[in-house]
Amino acid sequence: MRIVIGEGSCGIAAGAAKVHKAIEALMTENESFTLGSTGCIGMCFLEPIVDLYDGKILIKRLVKVTADDAAVIVEAARSGDLSGVEKLVISAEDEEFLNRQTRIALRHCGLIDPVSLDDYRNADGYQALEKALKTMTPEQVIEEIKVSGLAGRGGAGFPTWFKWNAARQSVGERKYLICNADEGDPGAFMDRAVIESDPHSLIEGMLIGAYAIGACEMIVYVRAEYPLAITNLEIAIDAARKANLLGENILGTGFSCDMRIKAGAGAFVCGEETALIESLEGKRGMPRLKPPFPAQKGYMDEPSNINNVETFANVSWIINNGGEAFAAMGTENSKGTKVFALTGKIRKGGLVEIPMGKTLRDVIYGIGGGIRDNKEFKAVQMGGPSGGCIPADLLDTVIDYKALAATGAIMGSGGMVVMDESTCMVGMAKFFLDFTALESCGKCVHCRIGTARMQEILTRIVKGEGKEGDIELLEELCDAVKDGALCGLGQTAPNPVLTTIRYFRNEYEAHIREKKCPAKECVDLLTYSIDADKCKGCTLCAKKCPAKAISGEVKKAHIIDENICIRCGQCVSSCRFGAIIVE
Amino acid sequence: MEQIKIIINGKECVGNKGETVLNIAANNGIEIPNLCYNGQLKLYGACGLCLVEAKGMPKLMRACATVAQDGAVYSTQTPRVVKARKIALELIMSDHEGDCVAPCSLNCPAHTDIQGYLKAIANGDDREAVRIIKEKIPIPASIGRVCPHPCESHCRRRLVEEPLSVAYLKAFAADNDLASENPFTAVCEEASGKKVAIIGGGPAGLTAAYYLRLSGHDVTIYEAMPEMGGMLRYGIPEYRLPKAVLAKEVDAIAKLGVEMKNNVKVGNDISFEEIKNSADAVLVTVGAWKGSSMRCKGEELEGVLSGIDFLREVNMGNIPDIGKNVAVVGGGNTAMDACRTAVRCGAENVYVIYRRTRAEAPAEDIEIEEAIEEGVEFLFLTNPDEIIGENGKVKAVKLQIMELGEPDASGRRKPVPVEGAFKTLEVDTVISAIGQKYAPSGLEEIGVTGWGTIQADEATCLTNIDGVFAAGDATNNGASIAIDAIAEANIAARAINAYLLGMPMDFPKPYYSERNVTPEMLADREKMPRAVMSVKAPEYRKGNFEAVLNGFTEEQARGEAKRCLECGCHDFKDCKLIRYANQDPIDPARLAGAKHECFKETRLVTIERDQGKCILCNLCVRTCKEVANESILGLVGRGFKTVIKPEFEGTDRIAVCKDCRKCAEVCPTGALKIIG
Repeated sequence: MRIVIGEGSCGIAAGAAKVHKAIEALMTENESFTLGSTGCIGMCFLEPIVDLYDGKILIKRLVKVTADDAAVIVEAARSGDLSGVEKLVISAEDEEFLNRQTRIALRHCGLIDPVSLDDYRNADGYQALEKALKTMTPEQVIEEIKVSGLAGRGGAGFPTWFKWNAARQSVGERKYLICNADEGDPGAFMDRAVIESDPHSLIEGMLIGAYAIGACEMIVYVRAEYPLAITNLEIAIDAARKANLLGENILGTGFSCDMRIKAGAGAFVCGEETALIESLEGKRGMPRLKPPFPAQKGYMDEPSNINNVETFANVSWIINNGGEAFAAMGTENSKGTKVFALTGKIRKGGLVEIPMGKTLRDVIYGIGGGIRDNKEFKAVQMGGPSGGCIPADLLDTVIDYKALAATGAIMGSGGMVVMDESTCMVGMAKFFLDFTALESCGKCVHCRIGTARMQEILTRIVKGEGKEGDIELLEELCDAVKDGALCGLGQTAPNPVLTTIRYFRNEYEAHIREKKCPAKECVDLLTYSIDADKCKGCTLCAKKCPAKAISGEVKKAHIIDENICIRCGQCVSSCRFGAIIVE
Repeated sequence: MEQIKIIINGKECVGNKGETVLNIAANNGIEIPNLCYNGQLKLYGACGLCLVEAKGMPKLMRACATVAQDGAVYSTQTPRVVKARKIALELIMSDHEGDCVAPCSLNCPAHTDIQGYLKAIANGDDREAVRIIKEKIPIPASIGRVCPHPCESHCRRRLVEEPLSVAYLKAFAADNDLASENPFTAVCEEASGKKVAIIGGGPAGLTAAYYLRLSGHDVTIYEAMPEMGGMLRYGIPEYRLPKAVLAKEVDAIAKLGVEMKNNVKVGNDISFEEIKNSADAVLVTVGAWKGSSMRCKGEELEGVLSGIDFLREVNMGNIPDIGKNVAVVGGGNTAMDACRTAVRCGAENVYVIYRRTRAEAPAEDIEIEEAIEEGVEFLFLTNPDEIIGENGKVKAVKLQIMELGEPDASGRRKPVPVEGAFKTLEVDTVISAIGQKYAPSGLEEIGVTGWGTIQADEATCLTNIDGVFAAGDATNNGASIAIDAIAEANIAARAINAYLLGMPMDFPKPYYSERNVTPEMLADREKMPRAVMSVKAPEYRKGNFEAVLNGFTEEQARGEAKRCLECGCHDFKDCKLIRYANQDPIDPARLAGAKHECFKETRLVTIERDQGKCILCNLCVRTCKEVANESILGLVGRGFKTVIKPEFEGTDRIAVCKDCRKCAEVCPTGALKIIG
């Protein structure tokens, strides 16, 4: 028997490493079972996860495991009697979370040891590379990608073959293949999962791309906030180099290409490809004007091709299985699968990979299990700060680049933040504007000042200081920034504002005209009071109140001093009688 | 090189293949606004002003970065482009505190280039100072003596110690110029063949006459009184403005060829119809010569005079018999002129009756002070209730005692009667100086406002009659200070000139960036007290009409002018940003929000960097790197807080700067200034 623990960053954060240590501590020298780890299984809501394997067969998946469970797990592994861990076994309903997915980019995640080249090879790893290098010309590789219909998974959805072909056609001393792993959208973590859990798949996908365009060097620009991803990728690069999968004369084919990692310093704008190139060159991360495009003049002014992690993660599958197999999934203009990072007020959050063409409802209700605490679904934010929100009545929108764009949102890199009735949509727009205004590189006027002004207007609206005409002013600024900003960051920054105005204009109006927050989230617009009929005088709220705003005698109705109240909501959560009124 | 043809704004432009739209436009005489482009430097594309629309393209494009395509059609004037440029400028301006024009000039009704002429005076060049002043004020020796100088109330020196003595420096320069061998004389443009008739030769009429004459028009002034000058001649007492000074300035205007007809009263000596028929445009600047009623019993009694009637008689040399005890009603400058004139006419007891307190009195404080020095007694918080007569002649005035109540619309506390509190003052004469009105004799066909003043368009001074304009005390808000009349006359002259040439008459109000300066920001300035001018002793001056002020000495004047802080931006005349900001109307106030802090960076050797003016075009940073081959300047921070800073933070002086000053040369605003 083999015990495998899911030890991606989120698993570790949930306590997987402690479980690992606890089990390890109980193991004897000649233990009857082995202990290993794998990457991200993708079910955040069930972490930490411990899998029990018999050979290659997963016999039990244990969830929400704690270090205290180590003894029963060890006992079960030793004896083969699994009755002791039965209470930890994943429910049939939760198993559906993975069963309903189609995993291509994430095909090895949670199944193999991320840093084991053997594991990867045993899972058909590097076969596609061998196939491409030994049996296909670069043009044939590009053609196969063209047939597959693979489009950039970083957000823009540009056809991958087109970029590869442009870089291939471009003339230059040296060519570079760059992987954009500067995953910066709040709520997006699929790229991290791929690098942490399956680094060889990235290396292999990039090698095939490098062969296709004729690159001599590959660079992975990864955010420094992903230490485990960097470590695992470093180990994988080392192993690949030793196995002659990187460096000179790869697999004896005469093709030479090496790889290195560049850790980004944490600027969101460096996820924009031209800013990323500037940063790679050691300059301040600020976008360049396009044209020239990177395929013409990129890194070091040489032809360069930049793709996102998830894009590369699909490549070897396409070469192994053929472009047609990939294109068989999806819709007319969106092929293959897409990974989404499902977060927010969802019951089952995690990584979801499904074929294009499924609906948002399939993801949110079918896989994610709907909204937590039986609340109402309100909207989902697609594509992070560059994307937009999609309201409940558009839940049947199919996942397809065009269909999503028509709603005002975007496919984006796959962040899917689910919101319920308690989310203020103006506050949500402000949250993203706070982010983009802060992350603007400061170069162009529209983004630097435009987003700051939008943020200021949103701030005054949520504070109840909004003015008549603010909505129109926001719309005007949004249009201007979309038209005038230099790069994608600025051009898409207005999307959260525009879509919330489009679908939830009434919430803006309530803040401005009635000085009310319909979702009861904007603290400046709330008043807390106590329903004297319901209050039992238990004094709990008064004890919990950090501002000492609540007073009253024992067993008599309490009152809240509105002038002292900081609207933190502690009283609401402490009251057992539902006596606190929030208006 | 292969040539291509493109269309920009409907004009066919020829350029080379591979050239950008911006360059081809420039080479064909079309300026596409831009602030961050420089042909010597790598493309940057930050300002967003050069956006153009290409026919058939969904997105706006940056002209600086767009390689022109043969046969393509571009426009910089479509509504979409104009709107995009407008909002880009508004965004830039919402974070640009430039102090384009010094606050003194901004607050001078005539917007005189005060900083400019103060510099000339400081340099000892009075003729140049007068040349600058006369761009707006043709009678500086007179105005310098009488102006209540709104400029001084806004002088930034007041945040250091005291404001500059701007008004009298003007008179100083003008006196010197008039006394010089070769006084400044402006040159008239070629004769236009157009005629302008001006009714009323006061400050407004004289000003408009001067500028219209300079524009080449034939100008005739019709004046009802024996001499030109209006209220300056007949309202302001001799001791404040010697008539000989005024006469010299009137003379200078006459010498330019302005025809001046004195003693011609419209309605009596000539009809308005005749005047209109005689000219291509008419300007009415008749002033406000009728005293306002006190609306109290006894006003018809002999011995009740209006302040302006009294001053006019005295100024004409007819000193009326006012007796020994005189009451002047009112708290404005006319009341001060009247009471001090009464003293000089021999009255022994002169009282000023004013219903509020000294703090609310509209008269200049120095006038009140000097009146007190001359023995005038101020009865604040009193109001005439009734003028008591005997045999049809004034005997006394019954005063209602007042107190201050709630603030009124003007923000001043409203005087309210104290019930039953009265006192009686024995007087021989009551002079009412509580306001003055326009009296439309002979000009009845000109439309008036609800206040009875002539209704004139604020932007053009045009009245309800085509070709008839009006300015000064007779119009809109009624009587005000001379510099207001001069400011309106400037507008009228510009509008009449445009009217005569068949051009649009209204000129948009220019947009200027203004800075909010606090005393802390000027804490490092050396304190230099305001020059104190010597005046004649009260006992001496009470008995005659000699000028009270003795004027500045040469040393005083030059030193005083040197106190100027030069608040206005040094780059105003060359600033690209302010030029673009005034091409189409913009309203940055609607986007008002956080701003960068205003401070001056002095770590570069000979360059002073003004953070508040920086628009982050990055030209200086790029020039330092790409042209000067240094990298002394760089961008720091992210988002809105991004700033340009010199390297080596913490050092006082940046020794590695080679002092090439190339950065300052490329700055499109006044953010970088060469010093030393």
